[in-house]
Amino acid sequence: MAIQKKISPLTRMSGFLELEVQIEGHTIIEAKSSSLLFRGFELMLQGRDPLDAIYFTQRICGICSTAHSVASSLALEEALQVTVTEQGRTLRDLVHSCEFLQNHLRHFYLYTLPDFIKLPQKQCLYENSRDYRFPPKINELLVANYFQAFEISRLAHEMIAIFGGKAPHDHGIFVGGLTVHPTIDKISKFRSLLKKIKSFALEKMLHDVYTLAHYYEDYFQMGQGPGHLLSFGLFADYPEQKPHYVEEAFLPYKGEKKQVDKQKITESLTYAWYEGKVEVPMEGKTIPDLEKEKAYSWSKAPRYQGYPCEVGPLARLIISGQYPNQISMMDRTIARVLEVLQIIIVMEKLLDKVELNRAPQEVYPIPSRSKGIGLTDTTRGTLGHWLTIREAMLSHYQVITPSAWNLSPQDERGKRGPVEEALIGTRIENLDHPVEIGRIVRSFDPCISCATHVYSAKGRKRMTIL
Amino acid sequence: MKVPLSTSSPQKRMEKGAKAVEELIEKWKVKARSSIKQGEKRKKLKLIWLELTGCSGNIISLLNGIDPELEELLMNHIDLCYNNSLMTAEGEAAMAQLFASAEEEFILAVEGAVAMQDQRYNIIGRYQGKPISAQEAIQYFGQRASSIIAVGTCATYGGISASRPNPSGSVSVAKALQTMRQDIVQLLGCPCHPDWFIGTLAHFMLYGQAPVLDSENRPILFYGITIHDNCERRSFFENRIFAERLGEQTCMIALGCRGPITKTDCPTRQWNSYLNWPVGANTPCIGCAHPTFPDGTAPFVQYAQRARGMEKRGQHNWPSKKK
Repeated sequence: MAIQKKISPLTRMSGFLELEVQIEGHTIIEAKSSSLLFRGFELMLQGRDPLDAIYFTQRICGICSTAHSVASSLALEEALQVTVTEQGRTLRDLVHSCEFLQNHLRHFYLYTLPDFIKLPQKQCLYENSRDYRFPPKINELLVANYFQAFEISRLAHEMIAIFGGKAPHDHGIFVGGLTVHPTIDKISKFRSLLKKIKSFALEKMLHDVYTLAHYYEDYFQMGQGPGHLLSFGLFADYPEQKPHYVEEAFLPYKGEKKQVDKQKITESLTYAWYEGKVEVPMEGKTIPDLEKEKAYSWSKAPRYQGYPCEVGPLARLIISGQYPNQISMMDRTIARVLEVLQIIIVMEKLLDKVELNRAPQEVYPIPSRSKGIGLTDTTRGTLGHWLTIREAMLSHYQVITPSAWNLSPQDERGKRGPVEEALIGTRIENLDHPVEIGRIVRSFDPCISCATHVYSAKGRKRMTIL
Repeated sequence: MKVPLSTSSPQKRMEKGAKAVEELIEKWKVKARSSIKQGEKRKKLKLIWLELTGCSGNIISLLNGIDPELEELLMNHIDLCYNNSLMTAEGEAAMAQLFASAEEEFILAVEGAVAMQDQRYNIIGRYQGKPISAQEAIQYFGQRASSIIAVGTCATYGGISASRPNPSGSVSVAKALQTMRQDIVQLLGCPCHPDWFIGTLAHFMLYGQAPVLDSENRPILFYGITIHDNCERRSFFENRIFAERLGEQTCMIALGCRGPITKTDCPTRQWNSYLNWPVGANTPCIGCAHPTFPDGTAPFVQYAQRARGMEKRGQHNWPSKKK
């Protein structure tokens, strides 16, 4: 007889997520992930001034707001037929890079590591009841680095503030690139902060993730998932030294790398609380339907050519050929840390390209009718904004976030989402403390604030209204 | 202890001096011992931080605070008993910790609005197998908290979560609690500046009550005057030198700057370790700390020529008055 376990809320992430698993013996045989928040951003954006999308969509997510300002700017540039200059792109990419540093630092130290280290008991925030394996001295070191990460991650947001005004929810990223001019004082402050983060990443973070991997080697065998990988590309739009990091690509399990075709992105609604079955983002609707049979999540299920795809740092490192094609909880965690270094290398190159010149900004007239798509990779994976302009106002807006890919429910063919698939077959040692579930799910760096802006909220038919 | 200089013998003067030093040291020792004892007795302030219908950006903003930093507060001054983003417990154990903490005196910080359209739109977790909605959570903990601090524009006025057509039926914390509480401290801002929260919390810790508030329950210290009053680019405004596009380093008013109606100390305080702020980034203030944000302060960016176009269509450049 299978027993059912529900973990709600899965803490140490942005937003509200519930995991429901069926365990037979000690093995997970079924898994469902449900996001627990619905705000309906797509509906709110209809009828707004197109340029408002940049500052508005940032509010989808408190931890990765810059990602949304980048994707919405890209979509608007396509719709407004604005060609971004190399200077504009370089500056915007620099600010976007800081968001990677902030997210990865906070995710690894503040969200992931507490699953493995004993934190000071005198603070109510920290309870310790897991499978701890570090000897006291190593634990002590990791705890010290946990607290230092508060400070170091703050520096990444300071870097955004230099060129963006403030963080979270910056003002600097806009159509055309950026609004702040790179002067020598700003550049040197930015470089100095970057250097501090780089030292921490090289001297502590890299070491810490391999310490983790050493003591928890079994996690290289857990949390594989479907094995299809997707990236929209990152820092790949530069004429020389192409690509700076990763080009857009779809890499199916045991298959060949292919270029991304936007037309092959669909969203399945069969198991989501929305009217409809399958849709393409340009025509996607967001009509809540709480009475829909079989539905168990408010997250739509994005698919590429019908495949559920894993997105994020590991997918990017594998696609760009910088990491062996092996997927697990631990590989995902290591990839996130390695990517910090990769991003810093790119940032140093970008900094060399920046000219002490103005950030290009124009008056951008709004056409009465247009369409735009903004696709980019961001911290947690592939992000897409689709918008339509009618009578100089937004008439349609859809967003597909990285967490929608990773945490999606089943699709119309019954294929599970990557997180669900990653949990199947996992062996749970202690049924009273199924720590494995949280560890695997967190390795995807879920962000439900994001997955839900469009959708998400959890609803189940049998749930009675309270 | 005075050492009279009139004493004749230098020897005696030295003896008296040494005695004075000893007495002083003893005094400090007694004081130190008693303050350690007091410190042991003085309980750390208990804080519950609920994330409801929002983006969880205010807790991230709090992580950006310095002097004191959140880590310093955690180690020495507060017991943060619940926060979805940072706590180590998960699932049922996390919710048990939340409900157990509410048995003793605590201050409640809330970010995010409260989704009212349907309970299922925002479930914060399961307690004893039952899903707990945002609305239930605010009712339960809002009643029991010794004080409530609403953090961010969603919690204080509904903010982005309640913007039209408000698909989730989101309302502010004060509205969700209706007449139950009149004493909610309102910290607007999208997000709330870490100093505004830490300053308010420090006032509770050191003086046992909220700082001086205005008629909207905002601390006057942080929300006393408009951004326009203290703007570093005020002289450009006075001289009518207006930016026509973002990126210009003059007055942003013609681009739709909401500084004249938005009350915060952003221009003098600045953000992220006091480095910069939106106008400093050559963009207009979008009024993220205004009660009507975002509907009342949109459109956020208006080029002069477009503003003229809109006047023709019978729309105006300025936000409607507070609802």
